[in-house]
Amino acid sequence: MTTLTESPAPQTPPVDHEALARRAAARNKRRVKSVIFHAVAVGATIVVLYPAAWMLFASMKPNSDIIGNTQLIPDVWTAEHYTTALSGIGGVSFWTFFNNSLLLAVLSVVGTVLSSTVAAYAFARIDFPGRGPLFAVMIGTLLLPFHVTIIPQYILFNNLGMVNTYYPLLLPKFLAAEAFFVFLMIQFIRGIPRSLDEAARIDGCGHGRIFFRIILPLMRPAIVTSSIFTFIWSWNDFLGPLLYLKDPALYTMPIALRQYVDQTSVSDYGAQMAMAVLALLPVMIFFVVFQRFLINGVATQGIKG
Amino acid sequence: MRITRKAAGAAAATAAVALVLTACSGGGDDSAEGGEEGGDVTLTVAWWGNDDRAARYEESIDLFEEANPGITVQTQFQDWENYWTARNTEAAGQSLPDVFQMDLSYLRQYGGTGQLADLSEYTGSQIDTSGFEEALLSSGTIEGAQYGIPTSQNTLALFYNQDVLDTIGVDPLEPGYTWDDFNAFIAEASEAGAGEDPAIYGSGDYTGTFWFFLQWYLQQGEQPFTEDGQLNFDEAAVTEFLNLASELREAGQLYPTERAVQLAPLGGFTSNEAAAEASWDNFLAGYISDSGTENIHMLPMPSGDNGPQQFWKPSMLLSSSANSEHPEEAAELISFLVNDPQVGEIFGTSKGVPAVAAQRDAMNVEEGSVDATVLEYEESVAADVTESAPLPVEGFGSIEAEWMRLAEELGYGNITVDEFVEQWFAFANDAVGQS
Repeated sequence: MTTLTESPAPQTPPVDHEALARRAAARNKRRVKSVIFHAVAVGATIVVLYPAAWMLFASMKPNSDIIGNTQLIPDVWTAEHYTTALSGIGGVSFWTFFNNSLLLAVLSVVGTVLSSTVAAYAFARIDFPGRGPLFAVMIGTLLLPFHVTIIPQYILFNNLGMVNTYYPLLLPKFLAAEAFFVFLMIQFIRGIPRSLDEAARIDGCGHGRIFFRIILPLMRPAIVTSSIFTFIWSWNDFLGPLLYLKDPALYTMPIALRQYVDQTSVSDYGAQMAMAVLALLPVMIFFVVFQRFLINGVATQGIKG
Repeated sequence: MRITRKAAGAAAATAAVALVLTACSGGGDDSAEGGEEGGDVTLTVAWWGNDDRAARYEESIDLFEEANPGITVQTQFQDWENYWTARNTEAAGQSLPDVFQMDLSYLRQYGGTGQLADLSEYTGSQIDTSGFEEALLSSGTIEGAQYGIPTSQNTLALFYNQDVLDTIGVDPLEPGYTWDDFNAFIAEASEAGAGEDPAIYGSGDYTGTFWFFLQWYLQQGEQPFTEDGQLNFDEAAVTEFLNLASELREAGQLYPTERAVQLAPLGGFTSNEAAAEASWDNFLAGYISDSGTENIHMLPMPSGDNGPQQFWKPSMLLSSSANSEHPEEAAELISFLVNDPQVGEIFGTSKGVPAVAAQRDAMNVEEGSVDATVLEYEESVAADVTESAPLPVEGFGSIEAEWMRLAEELGYGNITVDEFVEQWFAFANDAVGQS
């Protein structure tokens, strides 16, 4: 960062030895700073990545070496944990869990994007009656701790007969219940000049066309940011699937991950680690592919303020 | 701006798309439940455990389904902690599974709030209890209502690792040893193991487990809980128990808490850094697989004035939801799981030693196997089992956890024994409630 923001010394046409020396000194200083910066960055990366590396190597160690042995690189390499993990649990195959997670994550993204953009447009651009109070209620749901609503929500879905289906996990996404994303998008739309809407209006556009032709294309950074977060959150969600899914054939990856470990009986840590590695892959791929957009999105967000 | 008709139309279209998409997601559920068609009754069953236990349950339940063509069983399982998170939420929604594994420490909480069916209605008809010992069966009752049927039993034991003792050159304890002998043993082993790398200790702080206190208190000739579910011991008793190990604690001869926390989920004993540990006898399988040695042996608990005075604890029970739509079929399934010899053969001692003799006899016990060792141990201590299990009070799970937490603080040296006692009672008086 420092190297980038430092402005180069001013260029002066006549040869000025003093200036040259100063420039050399500045260059040296910059180089030292750059070395220190990179050393710190590499150090921090190692610290951050160590647990992931540990997990990766642990998944290839025999069970008895995983815990209690502090050595990172295994003495004996084994792939048996991956065979165990891929063979599934309790008669349900690994790919069922994987597909369930993927289905939930993708539909969550679709639902969140569809509903949040529409809701955000309404809040940001349409002056409908009761907008103020409704906005306050929406922000209120942001402040409400998640744990307060678990039991009422469960009872609600139970009475609707929706327990042991994906509805409790997906319906809120399609109904813009994720206030965080709605709020994020409202702020984004507020940053888009109103004169664009007005120009469209003069050309005869109604709300529908303004939304689809003007606002939606401009919201791409906010949509991408929301999609990435929704995907990752949904993929990693544990409590929701734990409470609402009863049938092992409907379980998601994070639930399946926990099935190998139980303190009251023998635990298969190796299989759990292997499963964790496999569970991490899609999120990592997703992140690598979309991180460019994520950073863009956040950066644009920052400017719009 | 005002809402235009077009905008409303667009919103409606979006909503319709949303509904269609959720409907698609529902499609997956149908296929998963497809196997149930043809069955008249569907029972839901839940247990805690790992994939190994799941395989055993599935096998047993397949047998049940074969024998009862009209009944389909839908199973689910979680690990211990998440199991109770899920059950607590279901209890709030009055939708507990038809049959589910119950632990003694939660029995009063669920039974007392009307969540569990009184199974005594079905004993003699759907549930065959003829193979049970009365004392064990009654451990599943609260004020006459049979809220749980014990599947298996276990009792406390002191495990020692002969390999570790050989390393440090210390002899194991002999049956009939007292709490003082146990202290002396820990001190000797910790002293001998101090030079090892990593250092070897005699044992962890045994006063940190609530059940050991209960065992010790029974040896004092007292019942820890009253009939109506209150605590039946005072500060002085807890202080006396905690002070049993105070010399070792001050001398640093107990397995250090810092190290135990670092090694979690393994412990000092399973890392071969502590020579002995007291626990439930069915932990043997886990100990052997985690520590990597089969040279682990079992002794009865330390004796009080009248011997060890141990008790059978139902290692788990099966309960049925009070809101079950098919209580009779649920009762039949419970009876099948606790009585059927084939089920006994499938589970072995993985849930503890089966409560019913027919299941015990059906087990294929190999000479020298874990199952054989546990069975032998239970036979050898049978004469020392003179007490019935104390029926835990409501909130037992939380006071037990608080005891463990304070014990950790005590191990770190953050609190004194007196502070432990004071804080624990403050918590327990609140948690147990004044019903």
